[in-house]
Amino acid sequence: MRDNLLEIIKKSAPIGPDIDLSKYELGEPRIHSSLNIIEEFNNITSKLGIEDTSKFSYIQINENAMYEALKNVLGNYGVKVVPLKKALEEFTYAKDLTWRLVSPETDKYTAATYLYGGELGYFIYVPPHTKVPIPIYSCLAITSNKKVQFAHNVVYVDEGSEAQVITGCLVPHGVKEGLHIGISEFYVGGNAKLTFAMIHSWAEGVHVRPRTTVNVAPGGEYVSYYVIYSPVASLQTFPTTILGSNSKTSSTSVIAGSGSGVYDVGSRVLLSGDDSSAEIISKVVATDSSEIYARSDIIAESVGRGHVECLGLLLSPNSKISSIPSITSKKPGAILSHEAAIGVIAEEELEYLMSKGFREDEAKSVLVRGFIDVDLRGLPPAIKYEIEKILDTIARSVVGI
Amino acid sequence: MLKVADLEVCVGSKKIVKNVNLSVGHNELHVIIGPNGSGKSTLLSALMGLPRVKICSGSILFNNVDITYIPPYERAKLGIALAHQNPPSIRGVKFSEIVKNMIKRCGCSDFTIMSKMLRVDDLMNRDLFVGFSGGERKRAELYLVMLQNPKLALLDEPDSGVDVESLNIIANAINSLVRRGSSVILVTHSGSILSRLERVDRVHLMFDGSIVYSGIVDEIIPLVFKYGFKGVVERIRKS
Repeated sequence: MRDNLLEIIKKSAPIGPDIDLSKYELGEPRIHSSLNIIEEFNNITSKLGIEDTSKFSYIQINENAMYEALKNVLGNYGVKVVPLKKALEEFTYAKDLTWRLVSPETDKYTAATYLYGGELGYFIYVPPHTKVPIPIYSCLAITSNKKVQFAHNVVYVDEGSEAQVITGCLVPHGVKEGLHIGISEFYVGGNAKLTFAMIHSWAEGVHVRPRTTVNVAPGGEYVSYYVIYSPVASLQTFPTTILGSNSKTSSTSVIAGSGSGVYDVGSRVLLSGDDSSAEIISKVVATDSSEIYARSDIIAESVGRGHVECLGLLLSPNSKISSIPSITSKKPGAILSHEAAIGVIAEEELEYLMSKGFREDEAKSVLVRGFIDVDLRGLPPAIKYEIEKILDTIARSVVGI
Repeated sequence: MLKVADLEVCVGSKKIVKNVNLSVGHNELHVIIGPNGSGKSTLLSALMGLPRVKICSGSILFNNVDITYIPPYERAKLGIALAHQNPPSIRGVKFSEIVKNMIKRCGCSDFTIMSKMLRVDDLMNRDLFVGFSGGERKRAELYLVMLQNPKLALLDEPDSGVDVESLNIIANAINSLVRRGSSVILVTHSGSILSRLERVDRVHLMFDGSIVYSGIVDEIIPLVFKYGFKGVVERIRKS
C-alpha cells in the first residue's frame, strides 16, 4: 500500500485548491502523558470562546500531543481519552476502528496522514450504556509558521451511550502559514448519541483539509455543529455520515468567510438503513473577497427522509457564494427536499432597525446574528453558550465592529 | 418642537409629498388623516429620515436643530421615534433582544408597566414580528416606540387591521404617551381610534401629497364621514 500512497500524494485532490505538501515542515510526533499547558496556550483558546483551559482532555500543539486533563473525572465513567497512537498500542479494538471509515487512499491528504502523521490525534471511547454528563474538550493548534499538523481522531460511542465532544482548531495570532489535516472516524453505536461541535479559527495563510466519516448504527443519533469564523487560505471538507436503520443525524454549519480565503464546506449523508432521517443546515456569510462553496448531499439508499437547507448572505461585492445542494433517491418512498437561497441584507430590515436608533453597522450586526442563528436546543448549556459567543463574535466582526 | 417648512419628498423619481408645512408644539397630539396613497406614510418616513425616501426640498427643524439630512439613528437619539405601519418580519432576531437593547439605550425604567399595558409579554421569545397577528404587530411596535421615551412619536396607522380590543389597548398607550409629555403625530385613514383618544390638538387632512386642511377634530371628521375624503377636499377647494 505504501507505494500506492506515495503515488496518491503526487496527485491533486479532486476538490479544493491543491496544496504542495513539501512546502510544510513536520516535526517528530511526541506524546506527553501530562497536560503541559504552556502559557501561550492559555492565551489562544479564548479564540474558541473557551476561557477555562482546564476543561481540555486532549491538546495537540503542532506534533505534540498532550492528554490527561479530566482523566479522572471522565475515568469515573469508563471514558478513555488518549492519543490515537497510544490507543493503538494499548487497546486491541482501536486497530479495528482505525482507517476503516476513511481510507488512506482517499486522496493525498489521507495518504500523507497515514504515512507521516504518527497517528497523533485523539481516541475517545465511551463504554456501553453510559451517559457522560460533561462535554469532552479537545484542542488542536498550530503555533509555528509553515508547520503541517496531522491529527487522526477516532471516537467510539458504544451502544446506548451519550457523549458530547467539542473540538477547537486554531492558530494563535502571528502564525501566518500552515497546513492542518484532520482525519476523523466517528462511530455511534446502536441507540447511542454523539453530539459533536467543531470550532475553527485559523489565519489567512493556513490551509485546512479535514476528512471525516461517521457511521451511525441502528437507532443511533449524530448531531454535528461546525463553525468557522476566521480567514483561511483554503478549507475543503465534505464529511460523510452513514445512517443505519432508524437512526438520524442533523448537521449544522455556520461559515463566516473573510479575507481572500476559499471555503469549500459540505456535508453528505447516506440514508443506508430504513426509516433513517437527515437534516443538513448551512448558514453562510461572505465578506471581503472570500469564496464560499456550500455543498450538501443526501443520498437515499433506503426509505428515509432528508432535508437540506442552505442559506447564504453576501456582504461584499468582491465575495462569492456558491450553494450546491444535491438530493438523490435510489429508493421509492424516500422523501427528500432542499431549499437554497443567497441574498443580501434586506434594506427594509436595515432601515427599520436604524429607525429604532441602531447605527447602520449595529443594525447590520443584529441582522447577521439573526441570519446565522441556528437551533442549539438540546445542546449542553456549556457548548451552547460557547457557540453563541462565537456567533455573536461573527455577527460583530463581519460588519467591522 | 417640530417645524416642517415647504417640504417636498420623493420616492424614486416620483414626488409624493408636496410643499408641506407643519408645526407641532411640545406635548401636542396632531392627527393626519387622508386616503390611501395620499403621502401620509411618506411624510412620516421623511420626518424619521428613512433612506428609502429622499427630501427634494424644504427643511425639518426639531427643537431648533436642522435634521433635514441626518440619518434615522441620529434622529432617534434626539428623541424622535417612528411606529412603522408594516414593520418587517425578521427571522432569528428575538423581540426580546431588540427590547433589551432599547431599554439599555434609552434608559427606560417602567418597561414592565408598558409591556403589561400593551400585552406584549408573550411575544418576547418570538422572532421579531414573525407570525404576529395584526394586533400583536401594532402593539409590539408601539411598545418599542414607548421604550424610546420619545419627545416626538410618529405613529403610522397604529389602528389599521386590529380588533376592537387591541384598538382600545393602543389608544390607551397613545394617551399614556401624551400624558408622559410626548408630542405625537398620528397618521390614520380610518379615524376609528380618534374617539378613544383623550385629546387631539389638531387635525390635518392630507390629499395628493399636500396638507389641504388643518383644524380641529369636530370640524373635519364629521365631514369626512359624511362626504368622504374626496368630497371634503372638493368642498374645501370650492370654499
